[in-house]
Amino acid sequence: MAIALLIWVATIAFSLICGTILCYKVEKSKVKRWGYSGKLFK
Amino acid sequence: MWYIAVFAFYLLFIVWTCLKSLKNVESMSDFTTGGHRMGLFIGVGTSVATWVSVASVMGVPGYLYSSGVAAIIGWVAGWFFGTALIPIVAYKVRRPESPAKTFPEFIHLRYEPLKKNSQLRTLVAALMLVGYFVFTHLQVVGFGIVFSTITGMKYEIAIFAFLVFLLFTSIGGFWSVAVTDTVNTILIILGVVLGAVAVLAAAGGFSNIYDTLAATTAPTVVGGESLSKGVLLSPVGTFGLGALFSIFISNSLGAAVSPHWVARMLAPKSIKVAIMQMMISVVLLIAIFVPLIIIGLGAKTLIPSLPAGQTTDYIMPLVITEYAHPLVGALTLVALCAAAVSTANSMLLHCGTSLYYDIYKNIFTSKTTEENSKKHLRYTVLALGVLAVVSAIKPPVLLAMGFTYVYGGFGAAFFFVVYLGLYWKRMNSAGAYANIIVGTAVYIIAKVLGATNPFIIALAAAFVSVLIAVKIGKKAPLEAYEPYFESEISSSTKKVISTIQDDYAQEENMQKTASGSKEAVEG
Repeated sequence: MAIALLIWVATIAFSLICGTILCYKVEKSKVKRWGYSGKLFK
Repeated sequence: MWYIAVFAFYLLFIVWTCLKSLKNVESMSDFTTGGHRMGLFIGVGTSVATWVSVASVMGVPGYLYSSGVAAIIGWVAGWFFGTALIPIVAYKVRRPESPAKTFPEFIHLRYEPLKKNSQLRTLVAALMLVGYFVFTHLQVVGFGIVFSTITGMKYEIAIFAFLVFLLFTSIGGFWSVAVTDTVNTILIILGVVLGAVAVLAAAGGFSNIYDTLAATTAPTVVGGESLSKGVLLSPVGTFGLGALFSIFISNSLGAAVSPHWVARMLAPKSIKVAIMQMMISVVLLIAIFVPLIIIGLGAKTLIPSLPAGQTTDYIMPLVITEYAHPLVGALTLVALCAAAVSTANSMLLHCGTSLYYDIYKNIFTSKTTEENSKKHLRYTVLALGVLAVVSAIKPPVLLAMGFTYVYGGFGAAFFFVVYLGLYWKRMNSAGAYANIIVGTAVYIIAKVLGATNPFIIALAAAFVSVLIAVKIGKKAPLEAYEPYFESEISSSTKKVISTIQDDYAQEENMQKTASGSKEAVEG
């Protein structure tokens, strides 16, 4: 059971890390149309 | 009594939202993508509502009940991994200043932008028609199971009540779908949380559930084969490693390129909103899936074996009616019913628009008035609804597995079309045809021959064929890939995009004019 739950938690962590990296890339692009705002999660 | 009362109240609510929706003038673009203006709050709501269907709420507890914790890896972790991959699609597909409005339009713009009528678009629409028809069929099956539990009717008769809902909800537009989806989602979260509390209390706590799972050998259905001791706590469960990996990969890679998810990523007002929408949805979905896991696993303690003749899809309504307070049970089951109806309606609309706009109107280019087009689309949706009900009389597969098959098919057909199309400039129309034709054919053949891992085999075959086709095929024109790689695009690309999108704009304008004149006459 622990293995199953660990795999699920890993996918959740991957989702949040992947999303954060993509938000960072949008910020780095400085393209306003893509969502650049000067803050990572805004 | 509680069940009938809550159900009648909900039916009145549906009629009210649909009648109110008739007063609003909405365009096709508003319905499909919200005009690319969707904010974070609504986006999170629609994403969570899209995940909440009969497969997740009824199918997953069913597999947890019959196969144990392995279902957490196959379906729950599979869908969460898919949700993690969707922002990678959003990061590119939402870049253009004028994004596509639908998945087939994205395919047209990315692969055959210089053609007025794209054959690839027609092919994609045909596959979508088949896939979404199966999804609709599964929603009708789920609706029938819950409706027969609530009313005590026979399942074969209960599924026909779906047509009554279809008549009401098909006249509602985006507003009614948004309101009913939001209410359904709140009801389901409330229902599954209260249901899980009731199951946990009735089962004597989590340690008792764990002990039962470790010791039970009771067959899933009375008279069936006994389970091996401890199999329900094994990470591979009753599936075996190969089959479980196949289910996980189909659910994750397939869901990430499914046309309805790609279309969802076209609606937000920017790339960042699309990405954050999926991140927040993941956190909210934990609140739905933890109670579902408790209900599915806890049910084995309360109902060791299902009555003969029932499938595992019945476990959720069965355990809720037996062990939850009647009001909690009524709210949960009515929400399940409503989720099935609203998802089925939106899937039917996908089927209808694919068949009418992307197949029929792409092949037969004769001009018809917008009023006639709308009438034809409505008849198409109703006819498909009747077919879905008839096909549900004897359901061939379980709900969650049905979704896995369709996601596997979509993944085999579209994985490289979407990801290589967005991240590799050299991906061309020959590569797209190769992925769709080889991926679909190999997936079907492997499935028919009983391969353990049909999705992986199809994906590997599709990858090789894509590489060969890209190598020998014509180079992709600048107009095809430029919007996904550059922030500013050339004037020739702008012209090509506006030419393709003009047809839609004209139809929308005609629709708005027609609706406006009708209101003026009625006024």
